[in-house]
Amino acid sequence: MEAIRNAFDFTDLPRGEMIIAALALLFLLLFPVLPHSSFAMATMIQFLMFSLYGMGWNLIGGYGGQVDLGKAQYVGIGAYTTALLMIRLDVPFWYSLPVGLALAVIWSFIIGYPLFRLKGHYFAIATIATSLVLKDIFEVWNFVGGARGLEIPLKGNLPNWLYLQFKQDYYYFYVLLAMFLVGLIYVNGFRHSRLGFQLRAIKDNENVARSLGIDAHWCKIKAYATATAFVAAVGSFHACYNFNIEPEDVMSLDLSVLIALMAMLGGAGSMWGPIIGAAILVPMKSYLGDWLGGKAGMAGMDLLLYGAIIMFIAAVQPRGVYGIVEALRARRRR
Amino acid sequence: MEALAVQILKSLVSGLLMGLVFALVALGLTVIFGVMDIVNFAHGEFLMIGMYTTLLTSPLLGVDPVLTLPLCVLVGAVLGLLCYHGLIRFLLRGPMIAQLFGTFGLMLFLRNMALLVMGSEPRIIHAGWLVGKSFAVGPNVVLESTKLAAAVLSVVSFLVIWWLINRTKVGRALTATSLDAEGARYMGISTERMNALAWAVGGASVAVAGGLLVNFWPVEPGVGLLFTMIAFATVALGGFGSVRGAFVAGIIIGLIVNVPPVWDALLRTIDAVGLKNLEIHSLKYTMVYAIYFLIMVIRPQGLFGWKQ
Amino acid sequence: MALLEVNQVSKHFGGLVANQEVSFALEQHEMLGLIGPNGAGKTTLFNCIAGFYPVTSGRIIFDGRDITALRDYQTARLGLARTFQIFQASGDLKVLENVMVGSFLRTGSRRKARQTAEGCLDFLGIRAAAGAMMADLPVAAQKRVALATALASDPKLMLLDEVGAGLNKSEIEGLVALLRRIHSERGIALLLTEHVLEMVMALSHRVIVLESGRKIAEGEPAAVVKDPEVIRAYLGDHYIRRRQETKDA
Repeated sequence: MEAIRNAFDFTDLPRGEMIIAALALLFLLLFPVLPHSSFAMATMIQFLMFSLYGMGWNLIGGYGGQVDLGKAQYVGIGAYTTALLMIRLDVPFWYSLPVGLALAVIWSFIIGYPLFRLKGHYFAIATIATSLVLKDIFEVWNFVGGARGLEIPLKGNLPNWLYLQFKQDYYYFYVLLAMFLVGLIYVNGFRHSRLGFQLRAIKDNENVARSLGIDAHWCKIKAYATATAFVAAVGSFHACYNFNIEPEDVMSLDLSVLIALMAMLGGAGSMWGPIIGAAILVPMKSYLGDWLGGKAGMAGMDLLLYGAIIMFIAAVQPRGVYGIVEALRARRRR
Repeated sequence: MEALAVQILKSLVSGLLMGLVFALVALGLTVIFGVMDIVNFAHGEFLMIGMYTTLLTSPLLGVDPVLTLPLCVLVGAVLGLLCYHGLIRFLLRGPMIAQLFGTFGLMLFLRNMALLVMGSEPRIIHAGWLVGKSFAVGPNVVLESTKLAAAVLSVVSFLVIWWLINRTKVGRALTATSLDAEGARYMGISTERMNALAWAVGGASVAVAGGLLVNFWPVEPGVGLLFTMIAFATVALGGFGSVRGAFVAGIIIGLIVNVPPVWDALLRTIDAVGLKNLEIHSLKYTMVYAIYFLIMVIRPQGLFGWKQ
Repeated sequence: MALLEVNQVSKHFGGLVANQEVSFALEQHEMLGLIGPNGAGKTTLFNCIAGFYPVTSGRIIFDGRDITALRDYQTARLGLARTFQIFQASGDLKVLENVMVGSFLRTGSRRKARQTAEGCLDFLGIRAAAGAMMADLPVAAQKRVALATALASDPKLMLLDEVGAGLNKSEIEGLVALLRRIHSERGIALLLTEHVLEMVMALSHRVIVLESGRKIAEGEPAAVVKDPEVIRAYLGDHYIRRRQETKDA
């Protein structure tokens, strides 16, 4: 009971934040009704997906301070489970979603147990390695379609709620928005929970945390598995939304890093951070890509700017955009 | 049976040669890590820039690709210094995550800069003293002179770096900084200068590796990632910060990566008997990642490591 | 029955002997001081007791249980709270949240954890700092927060490693009074190390003296400081010799 109350308890947040959050939510709810291009709609869906990825990553990477650069493998597990079950066994999305989630979480325990014996850089690089191993195996594994990936066939008439197949994007948008809100409330509860506190203590100083009775290794694994559940759920959604998945798309290093990057840019370890990060980077990436990619001889310009921005943020304000907001607020108080 | 023996011998030789090149690629990473505990994601991009340096300057200056290597040293060192003074210095003040992302941003920046300037098609050197020449060292075992030269120069580079670190005053200051930066500062060593030096040395050595590699490995803007990962695995196996370790580990990884052809030959022999062939060698580099993971979990200090 | 029994505990790091066959017992509700010159092996012994290091040999019994093989977080759960000499306050936890981490050891409920934490802050007189960031506090207040956090984990025994380090005389007096209250009002036993003697001497019922990893003396503070072995350990041989010479003359 108390866990549920904690999840809906937003009272410790500053009022300004709540007002902005309420306005943003209103905008999200009304967005499909407002006049928009289909490109804007696709961007919005990407924004919600990356917010959820980032929220998940933030649990282990932000609150726990464990820089995980291998989240894409779990996107892949979620996406492939849903796609395979749908193609081979005709299983609807709503049943394959929990299956994919469970598989991803089990895999995260198997990987997480040895992984969290490592710290710092060693941990970060090892997460990349595990993710790339899985991706490479999927690329040669015929059962999952190899490098060409899988194509999901249409199942009956659209809109098909059971298989999550729609003609218009706003259906997907609302399904995703519901997932987004569930995720947000979960994160809010997590931040108030015992595990949330313990993780932040571990990030602060692991020795002190252990002296307070915290089994740091196990706490990290639990948070890692929770983060995995977020990412795998969006992976399942991704399979239905795209109708087509391939390892390069759902399991690449770029995806892993992008997930972590959004959270860090917005502010790792804060509830709004990943959302802010996604709200800045996703539109920028898709509009910059659209604008520059179309011009001759400009391929790569968008990612180049991207790299420059990342370097700048990392060097100047590693606590991200939310860190800037907090610093300003602290200065005003003084 | 004899075909299999030749195949194994071939794999061992090419594994050894590739291993020496891998070792050279990893050398810069381990030097930088040893001195300042920072992992450079853009390491492979330094290699890529070294490759383009040779590719572009050789026809421009009208000299053989091998003669452009001093230029690679220069370009790599300058690049290392620029990165250190323009970026890394600032990252050091922040948390580890900022360091990871900062160098990751550098990687994206350099890779896409190359894409913008050079385009995406892979290129390779077609002519030169080394290219296309080879000599037999046994029945059916052929050494390509490009790889042989790369391996020899790798050994030379290692000797130079080893000499620099162990036999010069600057080298001892570097070692002191890597063991205890604070202590070194009290001894009057400018750690700032030592860090910059490590980046210059690291950049130069990996750029040379690039200049050698482009003789037999096509260069394109995205070539770096694979080599970054190989360098990480090599450095992990040898022990982060250990120069000797990087040398031995490079050879080991080179041999491991070239083992699948042996399996392949084995499988082909089996195939002749009528069993099904499996595609193992396409997972060649997957093993590098798996090796990294396993080493880190089983023996985090590596073979010769002294930092963890 | 003693609360903590340390039995022939040795700790070697490779060839380096940090503790050699140290034995002592800490009675229920006792305040025991562990003193010795720098490098005597006090912190290492603490780390062995708390399970932070595995011991090389020997046995440690806490509250009737053999804790020799337990890890640090396991001993903490049994009621052994350990504070650190160097307290790094770099993170983004506020003071109250920091203390709540301690109280979360005994409850899963945020409301209860908060109540306990606020009680502990009250007890240590730093309730006003509840919303502050650790890094913004002066050292003396940071130490109190660390004490409050340990207290919130509801321990039977607190291992305090150099709590007085870096404090001035009046701050140390305040701390001594505070530790007395923790001991008498909360009924918590204390084991303190300190290489500055005045604090340990004021607080301890008994003291143990370590030198080069071995126990060289044990007894009431007033008696121990007169022990020639102890004086030699602290002041060196030449001091004893000089005293001997002046006596002879």
